[in-house]
Amino acid sequence: MKRYVSAILVTFLFSLLISGCAHHSIVVLTPDPNGHVGKAEVITDGGKQLLDKPYGMTTISGRSSAPSPVTVASPEYIAATFSDVLAIEPVPAEKFILYFNSNTVDLVPESKAVFASMVASIKRRGAIAVSISGHSDATGSAELNDKISYKRAHIISEMLVQQGVSSDIMTVTSHGKGNQLIPTADGVSEPRNRRVEVIVR
Amino acid sequence: MRTIMLGLSLIFFALSPAVAADLQSNIIGHIQTIKGAVTIKRQGVILSASVGTLVLCKDTLQTGKAAAASVVMSDDSTLALGPNSELVLKDYMFNPKEGKFSFITRMVKGTFSYLSGIIGKLAPDSIRVEMPEGTIVVRGTKLLVSVEE
Repeated sequence: MKRYVSAILVTFLFSLLISGCAHHSIVVLTPDPNGHVGKAEVITDGGKQLLDKPYGMTTISGRSSAPSPVTVASPEYIAATFSDVLAIEPVPAEKFILYFNSNTVDLVPESKAVFASMVASIKRRGAIAVSISGHSDATGSAELNDKISYKRAHIISEMLVQQGVSSDIMTVTSHGKGNQLIPTADGVSEPRNRRVEVIVR
Repeated sequence: MRTIMLGLSLIFFALSPAVAADLQSNIIGHIQTIKGAVTIKRQGVILSASVGTLVLCKDTLQTGKAAAASVVMSDDSTLALGPNSELVLKDYMFNPKEGKFSFITRMVKGTFSYLSGIIGKLAPDSIRVEMPEGTIVVRGTKLLVSVEE
């Protein structure tokens, strides 16, 4: 009888030890809204685990032990654990790209139609944030590129104000040649990099 | 809210241009969606959050029992928090002009989704998620994370 009680006690203590007070963290890699699957490395003091397959999952059960081998998260598990998070995710933003003639703040003709559909989207969605970033190609000095890309973004914000969009919801930034759509070497004239990107949320 | 922020920054500007510049550069995102009671802890002060509330570097976001929220950062990355969750925006820098990037968050407890934005595209090595007992080096693009207390 005594042995029986101590066996229960040992089992109890052991289960305390493994569930313990340790934090228990789970990381799942999932496809993004475009269906693309990225990569993530989960690291503890005890080791690391690479996630690079859709719904790859690893569990951390303590700083000193390595993350668990990768398993595949079932749709049921994801629904049970993450339904509240997934329900609050914002609807994907809409992105519009407007192009400019070289060294000017004048939209190319095709972009005027894009501007009109952008205004329609802002109004339809009741957008709460519109981020406007100006970009240049890699010809000219950094200073000039910064200046022209800011001017382009600013002009678009003014055009939006004229269409009745509140400036309170707009942010205007200049990326110069720092974030090219078509990567080029310095000095290359590339019309597709002379642009303003507008993200509507 | 933004008008208030702008008003505040104008007052600061009159007092000290350095402070105003600091406030401006510290705006790193906004609350996009919200459900239930969500607060932001900022320099020891607890503020209640609503749709459109601006988020600053070093803010701690907390959701209540039946609450949830999402934040959109200026680089277009998105973080969503489920109920009973706590997230610290530890470090953030998005400066494509000078090629300076950083995005470090701390998931203290709760459930989260993370979707990478422009920083993930331009400088994937600068994104890190800290958890109580480990770290995620995020090379894009979407993750779900659960941190139990």
